[in-house]
Amino acid sequence: MNTEFGGWAGYVLRVDLTNNIIKKESTNKYHNYIGGMGIGYKVLWDNHKDGIKATDEGNRLIISAGPLSGSGAICSARTTITSRSPVIRQHLITDGHFGGHFSPELKYAGYDAIIIEGKSPTPVWLKIIDDEVTLEPADTIWGKGMFDTFAAVAKMMGQQAQVAAIGPAGENLVSQSTIQTQGGHSAGGHGAVLGSKQLKAIGVIGSGVVNVVANNEQLRKLDDHILGIIGANNQGVVPHQPQTWAEYSSSISRWRGGPGVKWGAADNPVDVGETPWNDRQKVGMRTSMAEMYFGREEANKIFKRPSGCHSCPIRCFCEVKNPKMKTEYKLPTDNISNTCMGFLDPWYVMGLPGNSEKRTDIQTVGAYHMDNYGVWSAYGQLSHIMREFITRDFWKELLPAQEFAAINWQQQKDLDAHFMEDFYTRLAFGLQYNGSNILGRFLGKGVHEFINEEGELYNIQDVLNGVETPRMAKLSFNLESDAAYGLLGKTYSVFLDKGVKVFNRSMVGGTHHASETAGQVGALLNTVFNRDPQCHSHINLVNCGLPYGKISEVADKMWGAGAFDPVKHYKPMNIAKAKFAKWCLVKNVLHDSLTLCNWMFPLIVSPDAKKDYQGDSSIESQMFSLVTGIQTSEQELDDKAEGILQLHRALSVLQMQEMDQRNQHDVLTEWVYDLDPDKVFGDEGTIKMGREDMQLGLDLFYAEMGWDRETGTPTRATLEKFKLGYVADKLESLGLLPA
Amino acid sequence: MITRRALLSNGAKVAVGTVYCGSLVSFLTGCNSDDDNIKIEVLPGGLMVVDPVLCVGCRRCEIACSWSHGKSAVSPNTARIKVVKNLNFGPHGVQDNYHQQRGEEGDGTIVPETCRQCNVCMAACPQQAISIDEATGARVVDEELCIGCGYCAENCPQQVITIDKLTEKALKCDLCQGKPNCAEVCPTGAIKFYTWEEAVAEVEHHEKYLKLI
Ligand code: SF4
Ligand code: SF4
Repeated sequence: MNTEFGGWAGYVLRVDLTNNIIKKESTNKYHNYIGGMGIGYKVLWDNHKDGIKATDEGNRLIISAGPLSGSGAICSARTTITSRSPVIRQHLITDGHFGGHFSPELKYAGYDAIIIEGKSPTPVWLKIIDDEVTLEPADTIWGKGMFDTFAAVAKMMGQQAQVAAIGPAGENLVSQSTIQTQGGHSAGGHGAVLGSKQLKAIGVIGSGVVNVVANNEQLRKLDDHILGIIGANNQGVVPHQPQTWAEYSSSISRWRGGPGVKWGAADNPVDVGETPWNDRQKVGMRTSMAEMYFGREEANKIFKRPSGCHSCPIRCFCEVKNPKMKTEYKLPTDNISNTCMGFLDPWYVMGLPGNSEKRTDIQTVGAYHMDNYGVWSAYGQLSHIMREFITRDFWKELLPAQEFAAINWQQQKDLDAHFMEDFYTRLAFGLQYNGSNILGRFLGKGVHEFINEEGELYNIQDVLNGVETPRMAKLSFNLESDAAYGLLGKTYSVFLDKGVKVFNRSMVGGTHHASETAGQVGALLNTVFNRDPQCHSHINLVNCGLPYGKISEVADKMWGAGAFDPVKHYKPMNIAKAKFAKWCLVKNVLHDSLTLCNWMFPLIVSPDAKKDYQGDSSIESQMFSLVTGIQTSEQELDDKAEGILQLHRALSVLQMQEMDQRNQHDVLTEWVYDLDPDKVFGDEGTIKMGREDMQLGLDLFYAEMGWDRETGTPTRATLEKFKLGYVADKLESLGLLPA
Repeated sequence: MITRRALLSNGAKVAVGTVYCGSLVSFLTGCNSDDDNIKIEVLPGGLMVVDPVLCVGCRRCEIACSWSHGKSAVSPNTARIKVVKNLNFGPHGVQDNYHQQRGEEGDGTIVPETCRQCNVCMAACPQQAISIDEATGARVVDEELCIGCGYCAENCPQQVITIDKLTEKALKCDLCQGKPNCAEVCPTGAIKFYTWEEAVAEVEHHEKYLKLI
């Protein structure tokens, strides 16, 4: 245990699967990188190998907690997973995250992170009980679904074990796979990495403690301060529907708990009623957001209670009970716990039907299969392609006739949730599926493998068969609606098709809070990372539900006039927006390193009218100071986080062997600019971006980041400012540092 | 035999200093229900009970309990209220039909366990280190006398006592001098402090969730 500071457990575990060697290292050398994602990127930088694939033995995977995990600080139970990802072009680094109770347990066992290296000759699982860390044979659990794996490991270790595992998708090296903990807590993109290493699961029991330097009075005082500021999920600070105590309400707020909302599937149904912001014993009810996914009527029948992660009072997960899962769909359970994409992916696949019992079945049954198999959708990219290709009738052209005939398309048309089982089985089992399964193997692989520079599809069977120069798929735009874009009859490209929502050409993941919520700010956030940015720093302000005037007041004060335009009425790029975008990324990286929930933090607005709805952006540094005992200001902590962001950028440059990030990485797809052909950028009512304006956006954003304007790569001065001189040296030695 | 409810509705008020034995006490405290020898002196204060319907599994109660005792170290092991124990698979551990049991991996019901302030630990302690706090009725551990032998923990019917690995002292709910930190931070009001009279219905409700299903 770390005795010098609070927070950090003090050790990092290094698990060499090839040689079955497990070592403990001190965490001290990572303190400048905070923890979580910071440890991950530092380890990956130090151990960089050129040109390896995510599933190669030489790739490392880091599962990490931050100094706040397990300390009890509000919303501090996220776990970050960093590694190369097979879903991304060139298998670049990405970070995935899950919540739940895993990282606190890891800390109680005495570890801040686990570095996984090499490849085991046979399937194994990693057993951690405090100082006893062993690799155990996994023959009895290899092949099992996610839920049975959790149960089997917990049975072997003791029921209080927290378990992270892969499902059949990860075992079968399906790129689009997850690492998961508990029900529904999924980190995307790295299941196949563990699968390639033959590591099925990690079980942890910790009987130790996380030292906290502050005392109860100080911690309760900060807790109280936060509870006076925190809202509902995504920092919605006004209720979704009018309530007597509230000055405002807003349809975009996730403060769903209110009159008429029921936890109807609870043994004693609970009427949520009014949820006044200052009622401390109803904080856990205010989010109650099942109706967001199922509609009020259905949610009131099937919603049992909200749930979520260790130490979080907000509870964005939905525990749902749908008896038909058992009776009609023959599943072993009628309970499912999830939030967001777990419910939405199946719904996207089935064509986004309206709220109804059918939608409920699709989402509960779909979520079960997706989670049980450990399938990941790259933030909906996979399901958008499935749906769009059905709409365009592409599958008939892409699949062998026999396979096409074997798929029950009628079920999909009829919104029959029985479709889900075969669909996710195809995805998770790839080559192991009985039959040709081109569909499952294609969707499971990551779309970057199947497109050329222009986003046009290769013949997918050629690609799957490893043909060196694959033929083109010869698909054309064929919908009436394509005509307005002048696309009808032209070669089909995923970069031109708004329906598949690929936003950035390089990362080919689904759009995630981009131009549809925050114009250029959101668009810029979608350029930097290698997958969807998973950034909510901006969302936690712009979707808080306060009137536009209040939000822009906060934004102006933080980043300068004109930082935030009304949605769908965007003005040209300016410096304030560049500052806003940078701030979002820095806070995002900070949270993934602390580890703190970026779906709630930062809290720069509040539900408190007496505070004029102002929040406090320094809470993270207050938590950090109290827990670690290292008095740290907001700026000092942000600087540490920015260093990690700079390291991430540098690592992308190194892995791509490409200094020109501007033209090779930070490039948006065409539809982002060509949307709504009857409008131009800046018109009211459109989210389309302007090509020249985005170039200006990159100029201003790079200037804020200290990146070279021509290439978008950090300069030596910038790297040195963040104590990353060694990074500059390495890039320079490879000719990858801007002059 | 008098039923628990009948006893109360018969007007048998539980008052300070009353000595109870038999079914009501065993029911409230969770001690062996057939053991008529167990006597409990009922003092002011009462019990912490958690409503599993309202519990959302955040474990803020465990955290606050850690915070409020001693060395500012957080752990489910230093908390005197136990949530994680039953969190994933319910009070009966991993059963083959875990999907049908309690817990996050079961029917989604979390059944935290709290101290019922019975006399078992007090009786089990060879050092007489556990005594009654007259103000709150809590059975509290005297750290000077406690030698960390663990008899109390082994015998506790709720299994809510832990021996601190570092200090080798028993950690047991002391009702926070009447201002329970756990109840104060619970975001749904699932955990409440009940007087002995009020506790009957709550305990009955809680007991339902402890059964194998
Ligand atoms: S009353 Fe105090 S000691 Fe007892 S469980 Fe609650 S916080 Fe812990
Ligand atoms: S604080 Fe309340 S809701 Fe959270 S785990 Fe404890 S009893 Fe359950």
